[in-house]
Amino acid sequence: MSVIYVLIPIAILFVIIGLAVFFWAVRSKQFEDLDKEGFSILFDDNKPQSRSASSDDEQQPPKQ
Amino acid sequence: MTAERCFHCNEPIPGGFNFTLSFDNQQRQFCCAGCQAIADTIISSGLSDYYRFRTEPASRYALPKELADTLAEYDAPDVLADVSVQQGDLTEISLSVTGISCAACAWLIEKQLRQLNTVHQVTVNSATQRCHLIWQADKTPLSVILSKLAAIGYQASPFVADNEEQAFKTELNRFLKRLAVSGIMTMQVMMLAVALYFGDYTGIEASHQGYLRWISLVLTLPVVLYAALPFVQSAWRGIKARQLNMDVPVSLAVYYTFFASAYATVFRTGEVYFESVCMFTFLLQLGKFFEYRARSRARDATSNLLKIMPVAATLLQDNQPQAVSAKRLRAGDVILVKPGETIAADGIIISGNSSADESMLTGEYAAVEKQCGDKVLAGSTNHDGLLQVKVSQPLAASHLGQIIALQQRTLSQKPAVLQKTDQLARYFVERLLVIAVATFALWYFWLDADRAFWITLSVLVATCPCALSLAAPTAVTCALASLNRRGILIKHSTVLDVLPQLTHLVFDKTGTLTEGRFSVAEVKINGSEYSRSDVLNLIANIEQFSEHPIARAFKPYLTVPLPLTETEISVGAGIQTNYNNMLVKIGSSAFCKLSTSSDAMVFLTINEVCIAEIWLQDAVRPEVPSLIARLRTAGYKLVMLTGDNSAQAQQLQQQLQFDLMHKGCTPEQKVMEIEHLVRDGHKVLMLGDGINDNPAFHAAHVSVTLETGSDLSKNQADVLLLQPSIGLLEHLLAESSHAQNVIKQNLYWSAGYNLLIIPLAVAGFVSPYIAVLGMSFSSLLVVSNSLRLLKK
Repeated sequence: MSVIYVLIPIAILFVIIGLAVFFWAVRSKQFEDLDKEGFSILFDDNKPQSRSASSDDEQQPPKQ
Repeated sequence: MTAERCFHCNEPIPGGFNFTLSFDNQQRQFCCAGCQAIADTIISSGLSDYYRFRTEPASRYALPKELADTLAEYDAPDVLADVSVQQGDLTEISLSVTGISCAACAWLIEKQLRQLNTVHQVTVNSATQRCHLIWQADKTPLSVILSKLAAIGYQASPFVADNEEQAFKTELNRFLKRLAVSGIMTMQVMMLAVALYFGDYTGIEASHQGYLRWISLVLTLPVVLYAALPFVQSAWRGIKARQLNMDVPVSLAVYYTFFASAYATVFRTGEVYFESVCMFTFLLQLGKFFEYRARSRARDATSNLLKIMPVAATLLQDNQPQAVSAKRLRAGDVILVKPGETIAADGIIISGNSSADESMLTGEYAAVEKQCGDKVLAGSTNHDGLLQVKVSQPLAASHLGQIIALQQRTLSQKPAVLQKTDQLARYFVERLLVIAVATFALWYFWLDADRAFWITLSVLVATCPCALSLAAPTAVTCALASLNRRGILIKHSTVLDVLPQLTHLVFDKTGTLTEGRFSVAEVKINGSEYSRSDVLNLIANIEQFSEHPIARAFKPYLTVPLPLTETEISVGAGIQTNYNNMLVKIGSSAFCKLSTSSDAMVFLTINEVCIAEIWLQDAVRPEVPSLIARLRTAGYKLVMLTGDNSAQAQQLQQQLQFDLMHKGCTPEQKVMEIEHLVRDGHKVLMLGDGINDNPAFHAAHVSVTLETGSDLSKNQADVLLLQPSIGLLEHLLAESSHAQNVIKQNLYWSAGYNLLIIPLAVAGFVSPYIAVLGMSFSSLLVVSNSLRLLKK
């Protein structure tokens, strides 16, 4: 059972990474509109020109 | 194809119209030219994905015709500066957008605006119906952007979020982070707790047990040091103000349990309860988070309604019209007011005549005739004439500005509402502390000094006020959600506490009890040549040319379009036209050249012969008489305060029999009347719709307004009914007393449970496992009881 001395710290590391990602997501306003982001995957696949139009806003989370 | 519906807005298509467009190799039908034009723009700009993926139909095309003119007003530099923020050479602005019905709309708007290469960044929030935009204002004027949105069917207007809303947003983000920390940590600690529980039964090596406890301790640290902080802060505030609140026992339980478990971990003795600490914090956070989010949604929805008050005015400088910000008008300036516009400042008419709608400011429902030399008020609406107004005072000193100042003053005098659960908490906490200290002393000095610490702990865990503190917030959140679905928005959750105690209901008249607009009351036909419906149809056809409020009364009577020629409007008098080579006139008796003693408001003459006399009135809402009767049976005292001084107030009093009625009230008098009632110890609800009711809103315990109310009222009231009907008031009262009952049941249950368990815990019979189980069970029961409010 001494393997738990290694495995549990690794699990904690994953938890910390998960929390860090969540905090980043909250800070970049991804939780303000939960409906829109779900839709964004449906759109845009056939229109490459819109990709470049939106890639210049740096603070924005990726939408396309 | 079955019943035809518009491809764009899904409204039924009226017969006789034929607007079609080809899309995806199929002919699509539209209900009007507006919807067709919007769909055409969307499809030809390559945005047709919108139609493929949307989940809700779009809203019907409903943009005013003179849109381009009004939009241009936003381009004036000082108007723009009022509503936006400059960032280097970029301009940042928030727009509130009407017509967003689903997430696909957000996508559509973002795409449409990104096609402009001067737009630097655009984000649309479909939940709050806001658009945040950063662009180069010097290259693309705001009006171009707004008309670009109008072309795809959305009406946007600049919007300034107030500080309070910003604070709400940061607070909500903090809630989310705390939830994540306590939620994720709870999962981890629970997992370890399962191992520890099993270890207790099947045996576990001491080194493993110690290791798992230490890990749990480390994982609980972020929960107590970060996620549970708001409870400590609130408890500390309460203690400083010498008022024990619910957060005092909550923080006490969390921290006592944590330190006891930490002690047990370090000295390898006793039991650990890290998982209870985490779960308790998580559950409480969750409850508070949902309540907070429900309130902030309601807030966002109503503050969207607050369009910035008379933004722009047309200043006449050297006879040249020029758009300026209304805030910057000075006494002596001359402004031009077009028909249908809101008058931007108090002033005196120097040329033109018209009538103005001042009902929002004074409560008087009839339009007021305005001649050269008459005074006009800021915030009233100009009806049908072009006016030149000499500004007599700046906006801040205007009548409207004074009402707003009065409203600010009354805001701080809002009657305090003591929260019941806080009262209970104070009572509970005092006794709990006394019992805990007594238990400790009892065991330490007389019974068994070694067990004293652990028995005190089990008393605290067993009586942990989890259920008690969840009792109110869960019920309130469920009630808010259920009311929301019915179209009742509540901005302050304390409202639900007061509603069941109300004794007096105060109503405004114009626009609240009545429709706030004219409708046809009586028609008298002279001769038998024309029937009643013929006459009304003819008038409705003619009145189509007019913007006057009287004209709108005839709108529902339009059945058959008639050919009319040479139509001519005389402002403030009437309309004449040519129909089948007959001279038709409608208007006042003077305009129709009749010498009559009749007091009818509108006359119709054909070839100078009087055909019909029509009486108009501001009709009482159809649901009002029965509603009033039911409220009286329910035992409420009913009061009517109206700014209207006309005979209609008296007439309504006779019809509805209020317990108290005051007519001709100024906003100040309304405040005084309500303050009088409040001083006498009554609990007062104010229902109104106009700006003149706003100061009174804050004087009353609860304020309610209607969807048809003024923007300012909708922003100020505690409750907003999202229907042009006050029938929802009854539902609001019923639902709130229902919620109150559920809260009471919850409180009785959790208090009863505590009373039962305390003696057992003090006597040392409750093992910690049972204490934890009991606590979780009573919390679950409370939460599921609250969830009942969501059903129906």
